[in-house]
Amino acid sequence: MTLSLNLEDMVLLSMPEFIGRFHPVLVHLPIGILLLGCFFQLLTISKRFTSLRPTLPLIYLLGGLAAVFSSITGYLLSQSGDYDGGLVDVHQWLGISVAVISMAVYLMCRKQVKEIWLHFTAALLIVLVGLTGHYGGSLTHGSDYLTAALTEGDSGKTAVPEIQNVQQALAYTHMIQPLLKNRCYSCHGADKQKGKLRLDAREWMLKGGEGGQTIVPGSAEESELIKRLLLPASNEDHMPPREKPQLTAEEIELLSWWIREGADFTKKVADLKQSEKIKPVLLSFQSGTVKTSKGLEDIPAEEVAKADVTQIEKLKQAGVVLIPVTAGSNYLSASFVTAKASPDVLKLLTGLKKQLIWLNMANTQLDDKGLKILEDLKALVRINLSNTAVTDQSMEVLKNLEHLQHVNLVGTKVSVAGVGQLKGLRELKNLYLYRSLVTEKDQPGLKHEFPKVDIDFGGYIVPLLPKDTIEAK
Amino acid sequence: MTRDELNAHRLVKEAQEAQLRSFTRRHFLKESAMGLGALAMGSLLGGCGFGNKSNNPVLYDPAHPLLPKSPPFLGKAKSVIYLHMAGAPSQLELFDYKPELMKMDGQDCPQSLLAGKKFAFITGVPKMLGPQASFAQYGESRAWVSENLPHFSTMVDDVSFLKAVSTDQFNHAPAQLLIHTGSPRLGRPSMGSWATYGLGTENQNLPGFVVLTSGGSFPDAGKSIWGSGFLPSVYQGVQCRSEGDPVLFIKDPNGMSRDLRKASIDAINAANEQEYTNYNDPEILSRVAQYEMAYRMQISAPEVMNINDEPAYIHEMYGTKPGQSCFANNVLLARKLVEKGVRYVQLFDWGWDAHGDGPSNSLNIGLKNKCRSIDKPITALLLDLKQRGLLEETLVVWGGEFGRTPMMENRNGVQNPYNGRDHHTDAFTIWMAGGGIKKGHTHGETDEIGYSAVSGKVDAFDIQATILNQLGFDHEQFTYPFQGRPFRLTDVAGKVIHDVVA
Repeated sequence: MTLSLNLEDMVLLSMPEFIGRFHPVLVHLPIGILLLGCFFQLLTISKRFTSLRPTLPLIYLLGGLAAVFSSITGYLLSQSGDYDGGLVDVHQWLGISVAVISMAVYLMCRKQVKEIWLHFTAALLIVLVGLTGHYGGSLTHGSDYLTAALTEGDSGKTAVPEIQNVQQALAYTHMIQPLLKNRCYSCHGADKQKGKLRLDAREWMLKGGEGGQTIVPGSAEESELIKRLLLPASNEDHMPPREKPQLTAEEIELLSWWIREGADFTKKVADLKQSEKIKPVLLSFQSGTVKTSKGLEDIPAEEVAKADVTQIEKLKQAGVVLIPVTAGSNYLSASFVTAKASPDVLKLLTGLKKQLIWLNMANTQLDDKGLKILEDLKALVRINLSNTAVTDQSMEVLKNLEHLQHVNLVGTKVSVAGVGQLKGLRELKNLYLYRSLVTEKDQPGLKHEFPKVDIDFGGYIVPLLPKDTIEAK
Repeated sequence: MTRDELNAHRLVKEAQEAQLRSFTRRHFLKESAMGLGALAMGSLLGGCGFGNKSNNPVLYDPAHPLLPKSPPFLGKAKSVIYLHMAGAPSQLELFDYKPELMKMDGQDCPQSLLAGKKFAFITGVPKMLGPQASFAQYGESRAWVSENLPHFSTMVDDVSFLKAVSTDQFNHAPAQLLIHTGSPRLGRPSMGSWATYGLGTENQNLPGFVVLTSGGSFPDAGKSIWGSGFLPSVYQGVQCRSEGDPVLFIKDPNGMSRDLRKASIDAINAANEQEYTNYNDPEILSRVAQYEMAYRMQISAPEVMNINDEPAYIHEMYGTKPGQSCFANNVLLARKLVEKGVRYVQLFDWGWDAHGDGPSNSLNIGLKNKCRSIDKPITALLLDLKQRGLLEETLVVWGGEFGRTPMMENRNGVQNPYNGRDHHTDAFTIWMAGGGIKKGHTHGETDEIGYSAVSGKVDAFDIQATILNQLGFDHEQFTYPFQGRPFRLTDVAGKVIHDVVA
């Protein structure tokens, strides 16, 4: 089906529009050539450069021809209707005048008119080329493209400005409009109407574009706007185009909710119906809400240098599974599932003290002596010592590894006294103490000592119920 | 020339001819034409940046196909245990409590439910069948669980239920293939193959993708359901057993010493490597790697796969039956394998197809006994993984290939002798736990009689996308080039079910 659609598209894409699409490439020729010509012309004012004079007619001729072709392709492109009338008109007539004047200058050169006239026209051409280029740029990138870098700073990050109190905000004016403005207007606004769609006023939005009804009040599912936003980025019809800044999941939720609740242009957020699901989404636009970064907490935020490759190779030779925690990360995870925890290998590990964040030593011969070697691994976030020979003595080492979040002491000789030493680990989240020397009596005390830590003492029993043995008949 | 020399000469000549014969005309034409064409094309396309999409590399290193690799994104789960109840358990007797259905018990099924629907067996107008089990709410999440799963009901605060899973296949084999390979037809790689292709496996002495079956029969889709499809064959599931030899044919035969075995494997590998230099087929290197792994497994597999060295309280917890082949043993084995760094453990338990055509296939007898055989082991698995700190990094998935109808099955228009339900595609329950999945959560809802989804409808592709997401993959970017295009597990569909991701 996709194939037949593509064929259809290709037939529909008319030849003139196809030629028109060369305009953005072609325009750079007259700009470059003509500016060079004008520059040479002005240089000839100085005696040292009079030798440049014979080249000028040829440069103007080439520049002029390029300008003519650019004008033609530009005209064809403007007929596609994706662009705003006003701005296109200005650009078009400036472009045509550049083409006409450069051809005229060529003739003047050939006719050998007075040098002063040529200097004057050169200056004029520079101004015209500059203006034409500027308006052309505004058409392609949006009229605020140049100034955006100066005025809005890092506006690329948040499309919706933070709101003091979301419930009191006007849904359209304070949330939807800024979002559309920052993410959609540049192609679907006053300057440009790609796909014959404008999103900068109510009547345009409801009218829709080539793709169908952009907004169906009451039904986000039927609204082309939402459909396009939700298409996978690889899809040709996905909006915004892949190379432009994308909407966040919350922003899409916000738009869907607004459409579902009738796409109202005047009401306050508080006056619209809010499901349990949308409430946290709305709240995320309020200033002062803590943005929770999902999932990444197990990897430190700061960058780290690459680990020594020879060191890594040696450890791999020893059977240690040593890989980056995610592809491209310099942080490493090491597992001893098929390696022996000999002192030599452990010493090699210390060379990775900045990069190693996850360490799995479970079921190895590791003892207190061995762990002592690892005392410099300050970056460790997770350590699994289950079923090793470590005792309370090793907790002296662990208590200084201040980034530890997950500590697994299952099946070790660690007692309540040893565990107590870990109290200073402020980032600690999970502690596994199943079959350690911690007794049932110690449990309430530890829970009290580690109020924020999820301690699992294990020892679960699945009792045998009468039902487990009676066969249904 | 002596007779022996003559013979040797003839043998060598024969071997050379055999080799030459393997270079067929087709081979020659293909190599020369394609080779030249490819050269020309390559230089033409090179400048356009074709073929070097950095986000989409082929992850396959034929000489070390199973070496562990980092996921592209931070995955919460390191391994997966997938518990598949082959035959499709009835959601209406386990998790999807429908008191309204009880009121309709025995009535004729309304036409509105039958219009335009196709069923595997139901014909004409069947009778409605109320829930054949009593339900209660459990845990802080107040999830409904039936009396059939008394142990599991204590675990509801650790799992996320997907109550409105749907499929478009109403026969076992295609539906199972769809869930595990992303296509109801044969030939696609299974999820475990994708996982080991993408992540390799930590323990090079064990297979990365292990399959364990119980219930006396293979799943209907056969071994293709753990096949590697177009992925290199080294990624296919390795079927193991919890009874007798863990891996079939792994023991040295009588009279074959380990040294002799090593020598013969070395010789075979040398021949295969010679073959590889001739043909450059990466599958040959895979085969070499497989032989080497098999040799290592001869030592390590019996050790890991022997559940007898587990202490008695663990056996009690799981309710194992040492020496026999059963689901409980497989579940305990799955825990041991995951602990040893196996990436993907796939369990199939056969016998959940409660049509009502016989006592062992009925809701009141057969289903109850099946539930009894899984209830304790599954509960033990979750608790055991939890106390070992493994549940955090192990994704456990439980489910069937489809659900069962709220109607009682009337095969060929005649009521079945026992209470049973037909295959149903529109709504059934799957649950997930661990591996970064929300605890005590329910996603999706079915209508008053559990016939179709009201909200939160998901399908096989969404589940696959979510599993890959937990392993650290974007299912849309995770592809393998085959037949001239990149293939995905989720084909052109699938959305991560973010609602169940913690």
